[in-house]
Amino acid sequence: MNADPLLKPATSPVPEPQDTEPESEAPRHGPGPSSVYFKSERDKLLLTLPKPVEPNVAWLPLWEELQQQIRAGERFWQVNSEVELIVSDRLLDQGQLQMIAAALDQVQLKLKRVNTSRRQTAMAAAAAGYAVEQESPALPLQSAANAAPLENPLYLETTIRSGTEIRHHGNVVIVGDINPGGSVIATGDILVWGRLRGVAHAGAQGNPDCRIMALQIEATQLRIANQVARTPKPPAQFYPEVAYISSEGIKLASATEFGKNIFVPPQEAL
Amino acid sequence: MGRIIVITSGKGGVGKTTCTANLGMALARLGKKVALMDADFGLRNLDLLLGLENRVVYTALDVVSGQCRLDQALVKDKRQNQLVLLPAAQSRDKDAITPDQMKQLALELSQRFDYVLVDCPAGIEMGFRNAIAAAQEALVVTTPEIAAVRDADRVVGLLEANRIKTINLVVNRLRPAMVQANDMMSVQDVQEILSIPLIGVIPDDEQVIVSTNKGEPLVLADNLSLPGLAISNVARRLEGQKVDFIDLDAAYDKSLLARVRRFFR
Ligand SMILES: Nc1ncnc2c1ncn2[C@@H]1O[C@H](COP(=O)(O)OP(=O)(O)OP(=O)(O)O)[C@@H](O)[C@H]1O
Ligand SMILES: [Mg+2]
Repeated sequence: MNADPLLKPATSPVPEPQDTEPESEAPRHGPGPSSVYFKSERDKLLLTLPKPVEPNVAWLPLWEELQQQIRAGERFWQVNSEVELIVSDRLLDQGQLQMIAAALDQVQLKLKRVNTSRRQTAMAAAAAGYAVEQESPALPLQSAANAAPLENPLYLETTIRSGTEIRHHGNVVIVGDINPGGSVIATGDILVWGRLRGVAHAGAQGNPDCRIMALQIEATQLRIANQVARTPKPPAQFYPEVAYISSEGIKLASATEFGKNIFVPPQEAL
Repeated sequence: MGRIIVITSGKGGVGKTTCTANLGMALARLGKKVALMDADFGLRNLDLLLGLENRVVYTALDVVSGQCRLDQALVKDKRQNQLVLLPAAQSRDKDAITPDQMKQLALELSQRFDYVLVDCPAGIEMGFRNAIAAAQEALVVTTPEIAAVRDADRVVGLLEANRIKTINLVVNRLRPAMVQANDMMSVQDVQEILSIPLIGVIPDDEQVIVSTNKGEPLVLADNLSLPGLAISNVARRLEGQKVDFIDLDAAYDKSLLARVRRFFR
């Protein structure tokens, strides 16, 4: 087979305006406090686990996501960095804390401190010998996060496989493919150094200036801010492309064309 | 320490059990000591494919519950004394065994056997967790179909997340004529998505069904069929031998014209 069999032939040829699905609604929460997230802060790494949706059911998926994030950054961890684990009100037992510590240990990161608002988790952490910081329970004021400045870019060196969803409050760089059934949702831009065949949603909190860039765009669905498009049937020859919002909706342009004609550097725009 | 390899797929019915049974047999024929573990609790049929059903006395569950010793539960193959089967319980529910217990059993077997092959149930629930608990390697089996490949991709992600680093691909039920007619994904199409090393391509062949029904693994036939040869080749590749892939296009192209054309190529 020459064309990718996983893609339904889509609507219009390349830089034509895309189909905007009528039922597409504006994203409600944006990426939210989503994925497991590493962030460096001065002399240590902060490892934030997402807030539990239902009490304690989602340990296995969480655990796998953590493993994936560790692997996806494997080349970049600084040996013997100290890690502070931030778990809000999630219930973690000693065994789970030890699993996390062991996983970190495999890439020579050291779990040192656990930051939680949950008493049982704090006790488990103390019993396991970690320093404990017990923050007061978070205010249920989620909307404040919407206005929060973007986090550092998330740089992942991995294939985003079917069933994996990466969410990040910031820009995302994927070194690898996004496979059909995989998705990346970002408040900022999404750059894929690889093939984009799953779903990418840039500007997920409503920023229409965000872009999706990939070496090859053959996406199941592209979303920017509150617009949705399917990609056209892929051209025989692939080249890097940029998806952006124009007055006619989401458009695709080859990277070279985009660089020449469309991209206006910020200083000239002023 | 033997190698513990899980045979898994995500989607059901793509040929995991067929591969496990035949691969076990093929490895045994190469002189390896092989233990097959059926991790498909509640729906076991590895014993059936091996033609060992009537010799099952105890199951893995009896071992973990202390009803019998591990070696009492192992069913030895009458044709290949290098091969044993640890059957799964048929009747009781799937959650009767935990990943830790499965791991324990597999590790114990790996002390005594060169290969421990674990036949994984379909899906990614508890049965899957049990089956991968002890595995250091995985064979991901898929057919060249969108849904099967999608599920295989999901499974590869989960295996990677569980730190199983050696993951190889088996494409089963390939129909070269359909691929040529653009009616089926090619092996290359599958590989492009899964991006893991290819260790075997098994053609769709009625011999497989015949052997399943007889409880006689393909690789035992005196005159090896193509799918039998394809699976023996997987065994040899696992053993580190370099074996060329069979030219299935040619093998299944029965038209004289094509044969003549091939001759002059
Ligand atoms: N290469 C093949 N050619 C023809 N038939 C095949 C081939 N491989 C498997 N089959 C048939 O497909 C059916 C399912 O095979 P099998 O039981 O090995 O799949 P499975 O992945 O173990 O299924 P389950 O998910 O239910 O455990 C069987 O009837 C088998 O004979
Ligand atoms: Mg089976």
